[in-house]
Amino acid sequence: MSVIEIKNLTKNYGKARGIIDVSLTVEQGEIFGFIGPNGAGKSTTIRTLLGLIYPTSGSARIFGKCCTTNPEVREDVGYLPSEVFYYDGMRVIDLLRYSASFYKKDCTKRINELAEIMDLDLKKRIDDLSFGNKKKVGIVQGLIHEPRLIILDEPTAGLDPLMQQRFFELIASENKKGATVFLSSHILREVQKMCERVALIKDGRIIKLEKMSELQGNNFKRIKVEGQSDLDKTIFDMPGVSKLENGGKTASFLYRGDINNIIRKLAQTELSNLSIDEPDLEEIFMHYYSKDG
Amino acid sequence: MNMVLRELKASSRALIIWSVSMFLCVLTGTIKFTAYTTATSTGPSINELLKTMPTSIKALFGFASFDMATMAGYLALLFIYVELVAAIHAALLGAGIIAKEESDKTTEYLMTKPVSRAAIVTSKLVAALLNVVVINVVTLVSFLVVIPLYSKGNDISGEVLMLTLSMFVVQLIFLSLGAVLAAWMRHPRTSGSVATGVLFTAYFVARITDMSDKLRFLNVISPFKYFDLGRMVAGNGLNTGIVLLSLALVAAFTALTYVFYQKRDLNI
Repeated sequence: MSVIEIKNLTKNYGKARGIIDVSLTVEQGEIFGFIGPNGAGKSTTIRTLLGLIYPTSGSARIFGKCCTTNPEVREDVGYLPSEVFYYDGMRVIDLLRYSASFYKKDCTKRINELAEIMDLDLKKRIDDLSFGNKKKVGIVQGLIHEPRLIILDEPTAGLDPLMQQRFFELIASENKKGATVFLSSHILREVQKMCERVALIKDGRIIKLEKMSELQGNNFKRIKVEGQSDLDKTIFDMPGVSKLENGGKTASFLYRGDINNIIRKLAQTELSNLSIDEPDLEEIFMHYYSKDG
Repeated sequence: MNMVLRELKASSRALIIWSVSMFLCVLTGTIKFTAYTTATSTGPSINELLKTMPTSIKALFGFASFDMATMAGYLALLFIYVELVAAIHAALLGAGIIAKEESDKTTEYLMTKPVSRAAIVTSKLVAALLNVVVINVVTLVSFLVVIPLYSKGNDISGEVLMLTLSMFVVQLIFLSLGAVLAAWMRHPRTSGSVATGVLFTAYFVARITDMSDKLRFLNVISPFKYFDLGRMVAGNGLNTGIVLLSLALVAAFTALTYVFYQKRDLNI
């Protein structure tokens, strides 16, 4: 049984676009990345999955169950929303105790552990906290019951780099203990670091669903060349070349295809420098992203 | 249970303020009773003055059918306003408690906990009900404490009890009205204003129908007219049929609150 199973999920907001025909599955123990620009439909997908809004068509299940008909399935889900809001006039500890009261286990020890890791002052009033510290409350709040599925929506927004690192270490250790992680983000770097598989969403549709290794893998190379004299533009006029930036002696482009073909072509010119790198996800993503729009 | 406690805590400050206001409303209202009964050296008593006023004016202020010279009659008049205050409290509370998660943006927090929306609505309604009971008891106790200070003669505790009982039913109607509006409306934040709008309309209907018997059929849309205050101060108690019909209305609003709330796409 898949931990998350989303099938042909469509959500319309009146005339406005929500998400269209989204399908994906997340397996036990995976760290799954969900990537897309702001407004692509990431949060809509998550909110439908969690039962906050109803799908127009299709289905979204967690542990084989739908959150709206079986709300108890959320017992095993920890959720960190992209923006955190809490009740007025509560201290951090009050909120965490209230959160804990929804679960059937004693979370006291866990609260203290997590607060220590995330460097969170439990006695402070939530209203007085900065955005980043509120986010920390959200992180702790989402993990106190040791959920088997952790859903994170733009988790690092507002966290300083040190805290981001601690946060990812924390998520990685939860994953090692067996938790499945669904990580939604527009920051490709963090997804790249963490995730085994990734879905790219754009304008409400999934445009790519692939293993991270394949996405990054041998398909694409970032190639930079420097010629001894100005480069002849026609060299790059071949299949597999994209995102070409050519300026005088230097050129930079993405290449997808048989590496021998491009090497033969490049060998015809006198080069002073050549570098071939793995492209980062951002470049790949931009490739998919700009292809049809 | 945890959610009920949370709601009670969240509403505690407002409840104290409403309770104190209710007590002051009863106190200051009752103090004025003396002005209605005693003829002053400068002129006739207000009761005599009222006799000279046209019925429509008296109806507008609610004086129409009560004998202001007796504490019971005066009470029936004062009670119109006390009931109005309690009804506003109930309507705002019912709308607010359901709309709160969405207007305070705590939806994503609460609705991702392992609880059903029905359980959430139940907790909220239980907490709201307790608030309404407190306001009702505060009103009853205030009257029982204040009236003997200004009323000579017969004990009217029985009448006061009947009036506050009828007020409880009216409170329940407006509480459930507020709740159902908040559960139904696309933008629940505005449900409080809509609920109070409905309430004031009902109130003015109640005043207008006092002017002419021909308008009495309109009373059906005004909960303020469901119970005849005059009948109660005459010691005739509550009309059981109307109590049951009112409670049926409350039950219908409450049931719809569950239905609408469960179906809605929550605003985040």
